[in-house]
Amino acid sequence: MTTHSRNIVIPHLGRIEGHGGIFVKVMGNTVYEVNMDVFEGSRYYEALLRGKHFLDVQGIITRVCAICSASHTVAALTALENALGVPQSERVHTLRGLLLLGATIESHALHVFALALPDYLGFDSVISMAAKYPNEVAFALRLKQLGNRLQEMIGGRAVHPINTLVGGFGRLPRHADLAKLRGELEASLEPLMGTVELVATLALPEWAAQDTVYVALRPYEEAYRFRGVSICTSRGEEFPIASYREVVREFTVEHSHAKHAALASGETYMVGSLARLKLWGHYLKGRARQAFERLFPNGVVDNSLANNAAQLVELVHSVEHGVEICDELLGMPEQERELLDYEVRAGRGVGAIEVPRGTLFHEYELDDQGLVVEANVITPTAQNLANVERDIRTAVEHLLAQPEPPDDPRLKLDLEMIARAYDPCISCSVHLTRLE
Amino acid sequence: MANGNPKVGIFGLTGCAGDQLQILNCEDELVRLAQRLDIVDWVMAKSDNDHGCRLDIAFVEGVVATERDLETLKEVRARARLLVAIGTCAVFGGLPAMKNSVPREVLQREVNEEGVDLDSVEALPPTHFVPFDLLLPGCPIERSEFLRAVNALLAGTSPELPRVPVCWECKARENVCRVVHFHEVCCGAMTRSGCGARCPSYGVACAGCRGPIEEPNYDANITMFAGRGISWVEIARKMSAFSAPVWMKQGLEQEVGRDDAQ
Repeated sequence: MTTHSRNIVIPHLGRIEGHGGIFVKVMGNTVYEVNMDVFEGSRYYEALLRGKHFLDVQGIITRVCAICSASHTVAALTALENALGVPQSERVHTLRGLLLLGATIESHALHVFALALPDYLGFDSVISMAAKYPNEVAFALRLKQLGNRLQEMIGGRAVHPINTLVGGFGRLPRHADLAKLRGELEASLEPLMGTVELVATLALPEWAAQDTVYVALRPYEEAYRFRGVSICTSRGEEFPIASYREVVREFTVEHSHAKHAALASGETYMVGSLARLKLWGHYLKGRARQAFERLFPNGVVDNSLANNAAQLVELVHSVEHGVEICDELLGMPEQERELLDYEVRAGRGVGAIEVPRGTLFHEYELDDQGLVVEANVITPTAQNLANVERDIRTAVEHLLAQPEPPDDPRLKLDLEMIARAYDPCISCSVHLTRLE
Repeated sequence: MANGNPKVGIFGLTGCAGDQLQILNCEDELVRLAQRLDIVDWVMAKSDNDHGCRLDIAFVEGVVATERDLETLKEVRARARLLVAIGTCAVFGGLPAMKNSVPREVLQREVNEEGVDLDSVEALPPTHFVPFDLLLPGCPIERSEFLRAVNALLAGTSPELPRVPVCWECKARENVCRVVHFHEVCCGAMTRSGCGARCPSYGVACAGCRGPIEEPNYDANITMFAGRGISWVEIARKMSAFSAPVWMKQGLEQEVGRDDAQ
């Protein structure tokens, strides 16, 4: 009996941000090649930044990606302030934290309910899903809108913030607006716990199970936080943020316009919600802890599809913690503007942030005029791509080894589910690499 | 969903997907719009798409930065009765077109290792290649302007788009002028309105993200900035993001090069 090789091709992945596809070559039940093709065009953002004044950096780099624009904004400002030696006032730190929570609420609500859940419930899109689950879809859209409004209140705009400056903010939110959004956040917590019950009923397919190394930042305080002080792996290693180029080894591959990444050991790894839960899930409190225990009764499972449930846990955390942050801000005196004075100096700074899809690194070197000499950005999606390919390879082998292997349309859908579970952001991943 | 409504496609070329995200961000209105439109091709939001059918309205965001983008654009033009450019990238080229004076090979060497074929061509707006029926600039587009445009197209008319500069809206909001009082390069006088002068209302100078008005007076603006002691390099740097014509961007490259040489 001769065995012919065949190709499984998904030319254009739907329900992800940006343009990518999947190519798998199999012979019998053996996988020979797996490519997550990224064919999004190049925009050379780091080259755009060379020679720019540091005050113009945020407005440019935020436009790498719309849904991650608040995340890139906070990472860039953190890196620039580190380069310039500008401290963050308590209010600025707290407000940026709330901005990141708004971005997480928007991004996770969109991904869990509109992009990923239709697969599990058997629909092609959230639009068709709305016919059977009108209340859930309406709630998810309201939640996403709430995330947007938090970003509008703090950043001035839901996409590509404009109010976020080196040293502070152009205009601070009014207490009345904060109090209103606080109320809406608090009111969303109960219905959100209802969706936890819906997701808890969904079976997690075994064919996607595989051991993985997880990487996430150690939170800046003993709590579940999206900003951190060092890079940690699930094997117990810990590295200073400044050494990120030694930890994250980037390399180019022929089939992708985005670079791939691996650890120094050559192993691929996962960043994002599941990685954060694996490393810091024990810090969760209140409703987020309940959601964690309900969705992961035996702790975090090594299965990339579980990332969707992990995002839901983080959604509960973000809403719950958002209420606490609003209370903190309401406890500060109301004022119009907060912008620290600082001296321009030459320097180099790194900003590392946990954003919805994982760890995001920004680094800038400025000359004594404040002009950008060098810029480097490593996105979570670029870090995850090699691991997506590894998971797809294992999944195909598991699926084809089953007594009744799935037909090709089903197989393709299964592979799409893996790619989507990582919530890839292709716009971000393309060519956000080093400029020297 | 064959409901007899106009068939709509939404397409992203190379870009940040921000204009498509702004459409998704029209949460409440989107549900009502879905009853009047049949969105048949939208890869970002759906997995079951019809990539071949005729379209009554097609929206395109992003720049042409690969040969593949150009093919997609031409296909979409051939399929669509009405073609609408959404976002500053699609209308003017936006930020990705900022480095067109530098050859692609150089950019590729700077940003990536050699030996990877990026299928990269000069980033140009789709409006450079095919005729469009309507242009909606903004980085990102304003949701209200998008919804007004869709309503107008469904009614068989063209939307009324503002032709005055951002300064006009800024004065109406009684903001303190960033140029006169803070001596900043504010692109409001060169930039088309429709954003409600958002940035100056937050105490931030206009970056020009909605693109130039029909007949911007660059010289008068430059004179106005220079008269307040702002250096030519600073003026060019600010204007080169969205507002300035090509001659100014090239001038900036030369200025920066000269500074480096000293």
